[in-house]
Amino acid sequence: MEKFVQLVVDGLSTGSVYAALALAIVLVHSATGLVNFAQGGMAVLAAYVAWVLTNQGVPLILAILASIIFSFLLGAVLERFLMRRFERGDPDTAVVVTIGLLTLITGIAGWLWGYNNQQFPSLFPLDTVSVLGVSVSIRSLGTTLVIVVAMVAMQALFAGTKLGLALRAVAINPQSAGYSGLPVERLLMVGWGLAAVLGAVAGALVAPQLTLTPGMLDSALVYALAAVILGGLTSPVGVVVAAWLIGVLENLAAVYVGFIGFDLKVAVPFILIFVVLIVRPQGLFGRKTVVRV
Amino acid sequence: MASSSKTSAPTTPAPASSAAASSASSFRQRPWVRWGAPLLLVVGLAVLPLVMTESANDTLARIGVFAVAVLGLNVVMGYTGQVSLGQIFFLGLGAYVTAYGVQSGWNIGLVFVLTCFIPAVVGLLVALAAARLGGLAIAMVTIALPIVGVPLAKRLSEFTGGSQGLSARFVAAPEGSGLYDDQWQLYIVLVIGGIVFLLTYFLVRGKYGRAFAIVKGNENVASSMGISPYRYKVLAFTIASLIGGVSGFLYMVVVQYTSPETMSFGHSIELLVAMVIGGAGSIVGSLLGGVFYVVVPDITNAIDPSLTALLQGALLLAVLFVLPGGLVSLPRAVMRGLRRSSTGRGSAAPPTTPSSTSGSGTAAEPTETERQGSA
Repeated sequence: MEKFVQLVVDGLSTGSVYAALALAIVLVHSATGLVNFAQGGMAVLAAYVAWVLTNQGVPLILAILASIIFSFLLGAVLERFLMRRFERGDPDTAVVVTIGLLTLITGIAGWLWGYNNQQFPSLFPLDTVSVLGVSVSIRSLGTTLVIVVAMVAMQALFAGTKLGLALRAVAINPQSAGYSGLPVERLLMVGWGLAAVLGAVAGALVAPQLTLTPGMLDSALVYALAAVILGGLTSPVGVVVAAWLIGVLENLAAVYVGFIGFDLKVAVPFILIFVVLIVRPQGLFGRKTVVRV
Repeated sequence: MASSSKTSAPTTPAPASSAAASSASSFRQRPWVRWGAPLLLVVGLAVLPLVMTESANDTLARIGVFAVAVLGLNVVMGYTGQVSLGQIFFLGLGAYVTAYGVQSGWNIGLVFVLTCFIPAVVGLLVALAAARLGGLAIAMVTIALPIVGVPLAKRLSEFTGGSQGLSARFVAAPEGSGLYDDQWQLYIVLVIGGIVFLLTYFLVRGKYGRAFAIVKGNENVASSMGISPYRYKVLAFTIASLIGGVSGFLYMVVVQYTSPETMSFGHSIELLVAMVIGGAGSIVGSLLGGVFYVVVPDITNAIDPSLTALLQGALLLAVLFVLPGGLVSLPRAVMRGLRRSSTGRGSAAPPTTPSSTSGSGTAAEPTETERQGSA
């Protein structure tokens, strides 16, 4: 039983990392209608920035904050100078652009800092704490908590501020938003920046565990995309729930299902997807979209 | 060739009616060009392996292998418009099937049939689920194939040899032919690859190719014409998987060794990069993609191995910015630029996206004849 609880808590923690990335992908998708395969790569770049700063003697928390600001700017700049050209065009081309961006970012990180694993200092101690008689790792609890706070803050920004209202207006109908005087282009940059911030938070939190490499978040990206498919591109809540579900289920399957084990647990979300796609093609929580010809 | 130029006529950019272009097409339709050029190509390819060095033969054979893999990716992505990040998985699967079959001592014909059949069935199953979701879901699902494939290959070690991989030597030059092994391998790649290219050429030029193009262009229009986007996406993906399997067979012919690393995520991305840079939706573009896939890492590794990924990403983005049709559209883009600067601003054609349906093997020729025509 104790092991079960530990597995669930650890699963929630990795699930939170997937959730943050998945939410970033949904954020970009709702604003610009494309799926950003470079979301993980951008987060890795942010983690490298934090790592470089800590090596310079900057305290970890400040380094992470700096990397978050860097991410915001990076997201905004990439939207403005790279993605904007492809946003109105064919979505498949835009996807290929983000794949090129992923390759480029991975290449830059590998060129600057090499492909060897780097140790990234952890925000949380590696101890365990006893909750209701079960010892669980502080790092898992902390990761989950920080990401939940980040997601709630993002939600509050979208629901409760004027900026959030404007961002939502752009997401729903950019043209009408433009007619009513909103600076659509600048808001798109903000949207990309915020998505990159979410990714950077996830990257900084997961880097100690995975150790920093240019391809660190490649598999996390795959999980995040799985969560996006499962939850439905239109439903932020669904995506987060799906990400947690994936995190917990893959952890449980790794231990309790003999054939899967730790090496094949990446297959779990996709088995899930195959089942869900057959039954509910629009995702667990997604709406069916009706297209007018 | 006559019918193919007819189908491609509406898609060629604006100045198709100019004297230059019509003289180019009449040049292409002259009987000695129509029959001579392919014949020359075949003879050239038949002689080439005999006169080149061993390493050149090996490079050319590897280009052939990956050109076939890129061609498969082109069927689903370039022609049908479904982004697939899993093509390398089918190459790996084909390679494993070949290696396992050879090690088990099966008949090589049977091995080849299985190498086509098994990846096609797996591709069909994946597509049946993935194509149910519209838009980008195929990309998001197929990205899982290499990521799940690598640990799966390590796990199924009794079939795949685990992390060690499998090696199989089964293509030695026949006794008495007087050929070296590398020449014999290159001939096999040329013959099988050539057949695959030819069949694919007819496929995308025919009824199915037109259906793929409509599904790519507008799914709603497709279904209103009685073409089920779902079915054609599944069909395209299945064919792409089959071609991927064949490329896996050729991979084993040339490399004679496969490991889980063969189908890693990085290679999958590289294959996609190669396809876009070569030219999406183009037969010649697939060949150029194969060249890019093999030659560019060779060059960058010689300079600095850590630059490979960076260069590939930068090149891909550069191509998407300035040459969305890929390298195959370069001659046409250059000609258009020249014509615009010579005729002045007034009659310049609007820069349409280059339609990348140029005839196979003749992509370089129109530029020369156009120059003659305008002179």
